[in-house]
Amino acid sequence: MSYLELDNVNFGFGPPSSRYEVFEGASLSVEKNEFVAVIGFSGSGKSTLISLLAGLEAPDSGEVRMGGEKVGPPGPDKGIMFQNYSLLPWLSVYGNIELAVKQVFPKMRRGERKEYVQHYIDMVNLTGSEWKLPGELSGGMRQRLSLARTLSMKPDVLLLDEPLSALDALTRSQLQDEIIRIWEEDRRTVVMITNDVDEAVIMADRIVPLTMGPSARLGREFPVTLDRPRDRATLNFNPEFKQLRNEVTRYMMDLDEEAKELTVAGDFPLPGVAPKSFTARVTVA
Amino acid sequence: MKYRIIKAIDVCGLNFLTPIVRLCYGEEPDKQLKDIGRFIVVPVLAFGVFVAMWGYLAPRHKTKYGAVPTPAQTWRAFCAMLTIHDRETSKAEAFVAGEERRRVILDFTVNRLAELDPLASDAKKMLAEAREEESAAKEALITPINEELSQLKDSERAGRKEKEAALKEMAESLEETGGEGRVALIEAVRELGDWRDEQKELQAPLKDKIKAIRDEKTPAVVAALAQDTLYQEEIQYLKKLQEMAGDKSREETVAAGEAKLAAYEEEYASAAGSAALSLAKKQVTQIERIAKDREKTYAMPWTLPKQAVRSVMCVFSGFFVGVAIAIPLGVLCGLSKTFMAAMTPFIALFKPVSPIVWVLILWIIVGGFFPDPASSPFLGRLNDLVNAVFVPLTLWLVPDFEINPAFIASALTVSMCSLWATMTNTALGVASVDPDHYNVARVLRLGFWSRLFKIVLPSALPLVFAGMRISLGVGWMVLIAAELIASSEGIGKYVNDMFQNGDVRSFAFIMMAVFIVGAIGLVLDRIMIVLQRAVSFDGAPTAI
Repeated sequence: MSYLELDNVNFGFGPPSSRYEVFEGASLSVEKNEFVAVIGFSGSGKSTLISLLAGLEAPDSGEVRMGGEKVGPPGPDKGIMFQNYSLLPWLSVYGNIELAVKQVFPKMRRGERKEYVQHYIDMVNLTGSEWKLPGELSGGMRQRLSLARTLSMKPDVLLLDEPLSALDALTRSQLQDEIIRIWEEDRRTVVMITNDVDEAVIMADRIVPLTMGPSARLGREFPVTLDRPRDRATLNFNPEFKQLRNEVTRYMMDLDEEAKELTVAGDFPLPGVAPKSFTARVTVA
Repeated sequence: MKYRIIKAIDVCGLNFLTPIVRLCYGEEPDKQLKDIGRFIVVPVLAFGVFVAMWGYLAPRHKTKYGAVPTPAQTWRAFCAMLTIHDRETSKAEAFVAGEERRRVILDFTVNRLAELDPLASDAKKMLAEAREEESAAKEALITPINEELSQLKDSERAGRKEKEAALKEMAESLEETGGEGRVALIEAVRELGDWRDEQKELQAPLKDKIKAIRDEKTPAVVAALAQDTLYQEEIQYLKKLQEMAGDKSREETVAAGEAKLAAYEEEYASAAGSAALSLAKKQVTQIERIAKDREKTYAMPWTLPKQAVRSVMCVFSGFFVGVAIAIPLGVLCGLSKTFMAAMTPFIALFKPVSPIVWVLILWIIVGGFFPDPASSPFLGRLNDLVNAVFVPLTLWLVPDFEINPAFIASALTVSMCSLWATMTNTALGVASVDPDHYNVARVLRLGFWSRLFKIVLPSALPLVFAGMRISLGVGWMVLIAAELIASSEGIGKYVNDMFQNGDVRSFAFIMMAVFIVGAIGLVLDRIMIVLQRAVSFDGAPTAI
C-alpha cells in the first residue's frame, strides 16, 4: 500500500444549482520517499489538489489517506509550501522560521532552537539575511525562506504548490537544483505541482498529468527513470529525456485539444472581409 | 550616512527636507534645486501671500471687538502671552525662593522701578498730549458737520411747528368740512410722519460721520496708549513681584508666623487659668498654620503654555481611553461578522453625533459621580497619581493638573468622538488579513490566542495605527470645543476667556490661539506618523 493516497475523490465549489466540480473520481498514490510531480494547465485544480492533500480542504466524497490513515486537519506533518510564499511580512527571515519552530517543537531550548533555525537558514543559502524583512528580499530569496520554513517543521510529506512559477528562469533552475539537493540529503515524500514539463522531468521520479477541469482526474502516469543526479547541462542531449519530455508535452497538448473540443462548440465562421485597397490620391488643383 | 538621514527624514514625514540633504551631498543639484523650489519655496511663498492678504484685509473689517487683528498684532499678542507666562513664573519662583535669591529679586525690582518711573510718566504725558491733539483735530472736523446738523434740526423744528399749526387748524374746522375733512386730516397726519422720517434720514449720515470721527483713534494715540499700557503692566508686575519676594514670600510668612508663635509661648509660660487655655488653643492653631504655610506655593494662574500642556494631556487621556475601548471592539468586529452586525447600529448612530452634545451629556453624567468634587477621595487619588506621573514630564511647567469632573468630561468627549475611526480601521485590518496567513496558522496549528497575537494583530497593526492617527486628529479638534463648553482649563477655556473679557488685545489672542492649536495638532500628527511608519512592514506611504 502506498504512503499517500487520493482515493476516488470528488470535490467541488458552490451551491448545488451552479456547482463547479473540480475533481471527479480523482485518484493518486505516492510511495514513501517518492518525488511526484503533478503537472497541469492553469485552472485545472492543481492548488485544490494540494489543499486536499494538506487537509486544508476536505473532499466531498472519497478519501485522502496518509500512512493508511485518513488525513486530518492541516498540521506540521504535512509541510506545505504555498504558491505565493505566505511569509509573514512583519517578521524577519529568522522570525518567520522561529515562529514555525517554536510552534512545532515547543520543548526545544532557546540555544538549541537558535542553532536549529540557523541550520535551516544556512541550508537554503540565506546566511547573512537573517534580520531582513521579507519585503527586502528578492523573489528567489523569499521562496527559499518559504522552503526553509516548511522544512524546519520536519514534515513527513512535502507539498509544493507551484513553488517556482513566480520566479525568473535563471533563479528557477538554481532553486530546482537546490530543492533536489536538499531532498537527496534528506529524502522524504514530495508532491510538487508545476506547469513546466522540463521542471517535472528534471526533478521528479514520476509525472502525473492532471486532465483539464472541470471534473479533472489524474491522467496517465509517466515514470522518470533517468539516473540521479541529473545534470542539467548534459540532459538536453539525453535521448531518454528528450523522448519523455516530448511524450508528456504531446499528452498535455492532446488533453488541451480534447478539452477545447468539449467546451467550445466550434469556430465561429468569420466572413471573408478584407479592407479595400486604397491609395492616397493626390489631387493637384 | 546620507541614506540614514534620508530614511530618518522619511520616517518623520518631513520629506521636504530630503532635497536639502541630497543637495548637501551634491547629488543632481538641478533636480534638488527644483525640488527645493517646489517643496520649500512654494509653500513659504503661499504662506507669505496668505499673511499679506490677511494683513491687507484685516484692518478693513470693523467689529464690536475692534478691527480684525493683523498678523503683526497677532504676533505681538503671542509675545505678550509669553511675557505674561514669564512674569507669572518668576512670581512663583520668587514666592518660594531663599533669602539671598529674594534679595537679588528685590534689588532688581527696585532698580527697574526707578528706571521705569520717568519713562512711565513720559509715556503718560505723551498719551495726554496725543489725546489732546486728537480731540482738537476731531473737534475741527466735527464742528462744521455739527453746524450743518443743527441747521437741519432748526429747519425741521420750524417746519414741524408750521405743519402742526396747520393740522390744528384743520382739526378745528372739521365741523365745516365734514366727512371729507376727517379723511384729509388723517392723510395730513400721515404725511407729517413721513416728512419727519425724511428729515431724520437727512440727518442720519451726518450723525454717522460724527460718530465715526469720534470712534476713530489716531495712530499717535494708539501707539502712546500701547506704550503706556506696556509700562503700567510692567510696573504692576514689578510691584507684585516685590510683594512676592518680600513680605508675602513663603519664608517671610513662615518667619512672621513663628514670631507670633514664640510670643504666644512666652505669654503661655506665665499664664494660668482660662487665659492659658486660650493661649494653648492659639498655639496649636498657629503651629498648624505654619505647617500649612511651609507647603504653600504661589497660586499661579493658568497661562497659555500651562493650558496647552493640560490640553495635550487631556487629549491623550481621552485618546487612550478611546483606543482601549476601540481596539478590542474593533478586533471582535473584524473576527466575527455577527459581532460586527451587532455593533453596526451603534457605529452608525453615534459616530455622527456632535462633540458638543457628548460633552454636555458626559458633564452631567460625570458630575453625578462626584457630587462634591473637592472632597472626593477618588479624584484626590487620581490627581495625586496624575501629578506624580505627568508633572515631571512637563518639567514642572504645570505644578498641579487639578483633575476635576470638567477635565474628565472633556477627556471622555475626546474618547467618544475619536474611538470610531480606530474601531472601524481595526475591524477592517482584522477582517482583511491575507487568507494565506490564516492557512499558515492552520498548518502551524496555532491556537486562538497565538493566532490573534502572532498573525491577526501584527497584520492589522498598520491599519490600526492609521485609524489611531485619524482618531488623535479628531480628538484634538474636538477637545478645544469640549474645553470651551465644559470650561475645563485648557486652550479651549483660554479662547473662551479671551472671548468673554473685553481687552483690546483679546481678538489677537484668539487669533494666536488658532495658530497654537494648529501647531500642536501638527506635532501630534507627526508623532502618529512616526509610530505608523514604525509598525508598517510593507513600506506603504502614509499620506502627507
